[in-house]
Amino acid sequence: MSYGDNITAVEHVGEHLQIEAHSEPDRVVLELHGELDLLGAPSLEEAIEGVEAGTPSIIVLDLQDLQFVDSAGLRVILSAHERSLNGDWSFALTRGTEQVQRLFTIAGVDDHLRIIDSPDELFG
Amino acid sequence: MGTRGTESTSVKAEPIGDVAASVLIDAGAVLASSLDPTTTMVQVARLTVPRIADLCVIDLRDEDGSIRDVAVVATQERIARDLEKLRESYPLNPDGQHPVARVIASGEPMLLSEMTDALLSSFAQGSKHAEFMIKHDYRSAAVAPLRARNRTLGALSLLRLGDGVRYGKEDMELACELARRAALAIDNARLFSDLRRAEQRLEAVLVNLAEAITVVDEGGHTIFANQAAADLLNVNSPEDLMGAPPGTIMPRFLVFDEQGRELDLEHMPGRRLFAGEQPEPLLVRNVVRASGEERWIIVRASPVTDPETGQMLYAVNVFENITAVKRVQLAESFMAGASRVLASSLDYNETLRRVARLTVPTMASWCAVDLLNEQGEIERVAVHHPDPAMMELAERLNRDYRLSPDEPAGVPEVIRTGEARVYTDIPPDALAQYARDNKHLELLSAIGATAVILVPMIGAAGTIGAITLVSSGEDRRLSHDDLPLAERLARRAGTAVENARLYTERTRIAHTLQKALLPESLPEIPGVEVAARYCAAGELNDVGGDFYDVFEQGENRYWMLVIGDVCGKGPRAAGVTALARHTLRAAAMSEQSPAEMLATLHRALRRQPVGADLCTVCLVAMDRSARHTRLTVALAGHPPPLLLSADGEASLIGEHGTLLGVLDPIEVGLTRVELQPGDTLLLYTDGLPDAGGAGVQLGERAMIEMCRKAPRASLKGMLAHIEREAVEYAEGSLRDDLALLGIRVHIDELRR
Repeated sequence: MSYGDNITAVEHVGEHLQIEAHSEPDRVVLELHGELDLLGAPSLEEAIEGVEAGTPSIIVLDLQDLQFVDSAGLRVILSAHERSLNGDWSFALTRGTEQVQRLFTIAGVDDHLRIIDSPDELFG
Repeated sequence: MGTRGTESTSVKAEPIGDVAASVLIDAGAVLASSLDPTTTMVQVARLTVPRIADLCVIDLRDEDGSIRDVAVVATQERIARDLEKLRESYPLNPDGQHPVARVIASGEPMLLSEMTDALLSSFAQGSKHAEFMIKHDYRSAAVAPLRARNRTLGALSLLRLGDGVRYGKEDMELACELARRAALAIDNARLFSDLRRAEQRLEAVLVNLAEAITVVDEGGHTIFANQAAADLLNVNSPEDLMGAPPGTIMPRFLVFDEQGRELDLEHMPGRRLFAGEQPEPLLVRNVVRASGEERWIIVRASPVTDPETGQMLYAVNVFENITAVKRVQLAESFMAGASRVLASSLDYNETLRRVARLTVPTMASWCAVDLLNEQGEIERVAVHHPDPAMMELAERLNRDYRLSPDEPAGVPEVIRTGEARVYTDIPPDALAQYARDNKHLELLSAIGATAVILVPMIGAAGTIGAITLVSSGEDRRLSHDDLPLAERLARRAGTAVENARLYTERTRIAHTLQKALLPESLPEIPGVEVAARYCAAGELNDVGGDFYDVFEQGENRYWMLVIGDVCGKGPRAAGVTALARHTLRAAAMSEQSPAEMLATLHRALRRQPVGADLCTVCLVAMDRSARHTRLTVALAGHPPPLLLSADGEASLIGEHGTLLGVLDPIEVGLTRVELQPGDTLLLYTDGLPDAGGAGVQLGERAMIEMCRKAPRASLKGMLAHIEREAVEYAEGSLRDDLALLGIRVHIDELRR
């Protein structure tokens, strides 16, 4: 990945979820590994809120390596999405694994969320 | 000495070789006896007079170089005494010409076969000395050096007085041999005395050493011990230890290895050295039989061997008392074990039984745990002793002499006061006073307690029970040192019991609440079988967010089947779940369509004050008549239901819609389908496709396959089977709640 050199934090959340934050002056990419479920959701929420505090213009959740998401994880993603609509920053997600995309489809949220193919898509 | 003439005659008559041999043999005996060097030299000198000399003088060189006579023996005692006096007044000049001085200086023997008065005068230490030698008629002399390890220690002088035998070469050789042996004896004696001094210094070190040291010979006699050893081995002084007959000290102790196996004398490193082994240091647990005191000791042994024969003479035993260190270590590992046990289960009765087992025999011979129950009675929940007969005894005590909370002493007192009690001595009359009757006393005596520790188990609201530790018989006796660990254990156990009770209480509340969120019973729908299952994920102490409901809509023969999932757990999710269920029921009563019902719920959720309360719902409206069963499946963010047709096909039914409560606007997916006799429609929450462990989910396809293969004899049985399979797939712990709701159209009902 092109932003592989600027890891600012790696947070281990049990065995389930790992969050790597890649920061640049105006954008932050949170790369998720593992599983985003009831156990991991609070950590992601905390991570996103922490990034928001730095007032970036764009926050991207990179879901390419995320193996699983459930409704608790979805709630965190949708909360962030809602805050981005009320705030002055953009929020986007990269396309996840089949299970992740399937959940977005079932939940009927894929039309609402900004889903991109690569974290670099927005930044040329 | 008066028979000098006769003896002199016999000397002359004897062949010189035999005389020499007899002198050397006698010298051997004299020199072997371990007397001090001066006495030995006098005896050597005596051997020569009168057999090979009339006068014998042995001189030694002192460290400062001066020459001092240590033995003067003559045929006449008076001559010897006079010479001694003379030598005292006129000591030999080490640098002078006197043959003794010259021999000592050169290390070479001197044979003065024929001495003239002029010669005598030439080396005399003055006129009186010359007069003495001339007066006593010194005529022949053989002076041999006392040499050992290349040093000349002194000289042996043999003299003939008056007319008689003159010394020759053979006499000189004999004198040299005798001098050599005497020198060796002196050297050994000096070495011995040096050694002795070194030993004394060493002994002073050993005696004052903090570590206990004993030196034991092969027969088991202690030949050395220091005060630390006497203290450790419970005798008054090192002398008591040295005086003790072999094998009488060890039986005063019970000795175990780290694994608790009893050890005897032959296991001790010192004994194993004598057996030819090379023992490693041995860590032993040692209990003083008399007092029950327990110590942890490292025993090391090293051999002392004879430098010449290489034979082992002694074993030096060093005992290091590591009781304090070991106690801390044991306490930590004990507490680690106890913590594991206490955290292992929420069944605190079982947990406390395991704690009781854990304390025996590490801490105590017996352990009992009593809890105060809700009625304020003292209830014995655990007791442990390794001997079943003793366990029976304890049970009888508990059954026949149940503790009453108002008893003045023992467990009731500790529970009342919250203060620990330590009894390091249990006198028979105290036991008699405590006992309620003779039978009770008999049972108590049979326990054979040597010491008792009672510690309170304290919870947030006060004392909730007590742990009793008892040492008995020859087991290590409990002491005040055990109190801190006992108190730690009781604190930890108290917290565990309290947590378990709170947890049990929370679980009870959660169950009650969950039941309130789910229909108490499913309604009977003519011609349709209805069944549901609910399985909470993980521990049963939290209210889940899954819900289902089945109800009739007004009077228009519609039945509503609802399954939904509110994100989250706990009280907040429970509140949203209740809201969802009741909003849908209320919406149904006002004759809304399925899409309208879901929109109503969405608006209700959006009005919730804080955060995003998202909720997914699958709503199925069933239009039911004798001829048909028509369904409208409405989806809002929820996985589509599964249609299992009578002919064994399986398919997901429905079009996806937006989940409720977060995003505007929502779209509800609506699908119409007609059920045939024998068809089953299964509604589920994501707990089913998501069932699995870390990194592995059942997934949609496998879920469909699993449901298709489930035995269909009864709908209830089918749902139970599916739930069981999902739980098994998740290896016993579902990551999310799982709700299943199914309907099946009766075959015979429709044919009517």
